[in-house]
Amino acid sequence: MDAVYSIISAGVLSQVFVGLSRTTILFIVASGLTLILGVLRIPNVAHGSLYMIGAFTAFTVTKLSGGGSAGFWIALVIAPLIVALISLIAERGMFQFLYEREHLMLLLLTFAFSLVFGDLVKLVWGGEYKSVPVPHIFQGFVPLFGGLPFPLYNLFLLLAGPVVAILLYLLTNKTKMGKIARAAAVDREMVGAVGINVSRVFATVFVIGCYLAGLGGVLVAPTVSVTLGMDHNLIIEAFLIVIMGGLGNIWGALLGALIFGLTQSLGILIWPKFGIIFPYLAVVVVLLFRPTGLLKSTW
Amino acid sequence: MKKSVLLSMSLLLFVGLFMVCPLTYAQNTIKVGIVDTYTGPATTFTMDVLDGFKLAVNEINAKGGVLGKKIEYTTRDEKFKPDIGLAMAKELVLKEKVDILMGTINSATALAISDFAKKEKLPFFVTFSKSEKIIGEKGHPYIFNMNENTAMVGKAAAVALAKKPYIKYWIAGDDYEYGHAIANSLWNNLKKLKPQVQKAGESWWKVGEADFTPYITQILAAKPDFIIAATGGAGMVNFQKAAKATGLSQKIPFYQHTAIELSVLKPQGQNAPEGVFGTANYFFYYPDTPSNRAFVDEFKRAYNREPRIGALSGYMTARFIAAGYKKAGKIDTEGLIKALEGMSLDSPVGPMAIRGCDHQLELPMYFGVTTKNPKYDFLVAGDVQAIQAKDYMPTCDEVLRVRK
Repeated sequence: MDAVYSIISAGVLSQVFVGLSRTTILFIVASGLTLILGVLRIPNVAHGSLYMIGAFTAFTVTKLSGGGSAGFWIALVIAPLIVALISLIAERGMFQFLYEREHLMLLLLTFAFSLVFGDLVKLVWGGEYKSVPVPHIFQGFVPLFGGLPFPLYNLFLLLAGPVVAILLYLLTNKTKMGKIARAAAVDREMVGAVGINVSRVFATVFVIGCYLAGLGGVLVAPTVSVTLGMDHNLIIEAFLIVIMGGLGNIWGALLGALIFGLTQSLGILIWPKFGIIFPYLAVVVVLLFRPTGLLKSTW
Repeated sequence: MKKSVLLSMSLLLFVGLFMVCPLTYAQNTIKVGIVDTYTGPATTFTMDVLDGFKLAVNEINAKGGVLGKKIEYTTRDEKFKPDIGLAMAKELVLKEKVDILMGTINSATALAISDFAKKEKLPFFVTFSKSEKIIGEKGHPYIFNMNENTAMVGKAAAVALAKKPYIKYWIAGDDYEYGHAIANSLWNNLKKLKPQVQKAGESWWKVGEADFTPYITQILAAKPDFIIAATGGAGMVNFQKAAKATGLSQKIPFYQHTAIELSVLKPQGQNAPEGVFGTANYFFYYPDTPSNRAFVDEFKRAYNREPRIGALSGYMTARFIAAGYKKAGKIDTEGLIKALEGMSLDSPVGPMAIRGCDHQLELPMYFGVTTKNPKYDFLVAGDVQAIQAKDYMPTCDEVLRVRK
């Protein structure tokens, strides 16, 4: 009986950890989305495209630097910066003139952007599947929890998640920029009235948010095939997480990503044939009881 | 003066209108309308079909065309949406007046266009849709299936797997028609061939699932002998990557249709898992015959990459269209259909026939396992065994029985 119990709990523990590493990617991407949504009020549908561009750029950077593990680490630094640069151009060239527009119009505009980005990616990288190898030190797996194998790269993701969360906390709560951004999220006219250059703050927040999308893309690249269409799959999940957590709330995004990742991995354990429905069921349950999301929305 | 200019101009315009119409009716070309997905992840397969088709069309036209007429084609991007695809097929037929329809990678679109082609009495060549309904229950005399379907794949894999010692099977896959159809066909055939097999469990994930790790850890805990992974598209690579990262590929053998195919193995380079079982209908390196080498060289020269199954499918579609009209002796739909039934042509991989009863192309089917090969910087199919058409094709009787 003890043996049976230990196997079951090992399985559960293993699923929890796998779910947590999945949470990392979801959190990183969703936090960028919610940051932009909270401060700039832009429901950025093109966020998924930037994630996809991050992954494709990671592929190119890795390939250019010889395809070895060093390539991945270089890509981890460079690719999100390239995505940030693209977003800076988009913000200065387009979005900064449109902050006062209707949300629906911004939604349509960013959707148009996602289509444009999708086609640009096809033009630049072609339709073939791309693959980024797992960096050498994280290749393979370790036996954890009753000997069940756990991929080393997922362990790395487990560590990366909290690091990003802490950095985001410091950025929003301990820096002047973060404080201004939070104030601007509540009342942008007032912040402008006291003589702060709101436009620059907005640009910075937009770029940071998009940087996070790019970072998510690089981190996910070694675990999947980098392909057209990966943007659409992710953006739906990211929006659900943001809605579940409370629009514009970074910690809501963390909570939402945790719920999404864990219900998925544990749902698979409970009912593998219909494992996919659990995260969506969780969204329904959350929104039934808390229609505005779990944490306080900035809207 | 002004009035007369206006009058003559409008008259000219009027005459012009009538000039154009007869031109479009007097057919100097054979028009093929291609509806396929050219955006999103499916592009990796559809471009091969188109490029293979183009290659053959250029060859045929360079030799003077068919019965003195050149083959001409137009493409439409259906964006993986059946309603758009059907609208485009209608537009191609009604406005562009195409003689032949061709496409698509989306089975739902293929079925919608097939229904339309049946009403319009126009031949429709299916190049990459895998649904067995296309020639099965929704089949009709105007449909030609130029690629394998889920029923054929499942049967072929079952024939090969029945010879292996595995008893406890886990079934997993993409939760859409393709995944379920392959898994069902494989499982039903396997049970027939080897009644002692058992099903340990099933898991189904959504199409486009990025991370398979939670599913795999769960399967590992259940300890089956073998896994049938009915994945398609980008899920093929995603599953293999997760199988390698979790050590699944070393612990439990698994099968995926097209696991041994170039589109899945090349992107992963040397990092693809070894020992994965798969089926495929074409390799650029096997069989290593002069005709296959010539085809590969020609394709590489034109497009700077190796051909894959789609390229063969597109290439043979054009060749069959040309040969069919030639045999019929005129550009006529009924004549073409009659000519194609039972027709056999030399292909890069040997003679290939269109079965008379259901218009299914008799492609070769290979079963193999992913293997490292010093000749290539990616894994290839090893231990390849060819499965004969008579062993894996559903019989004419089986196909026609389900037709309505």
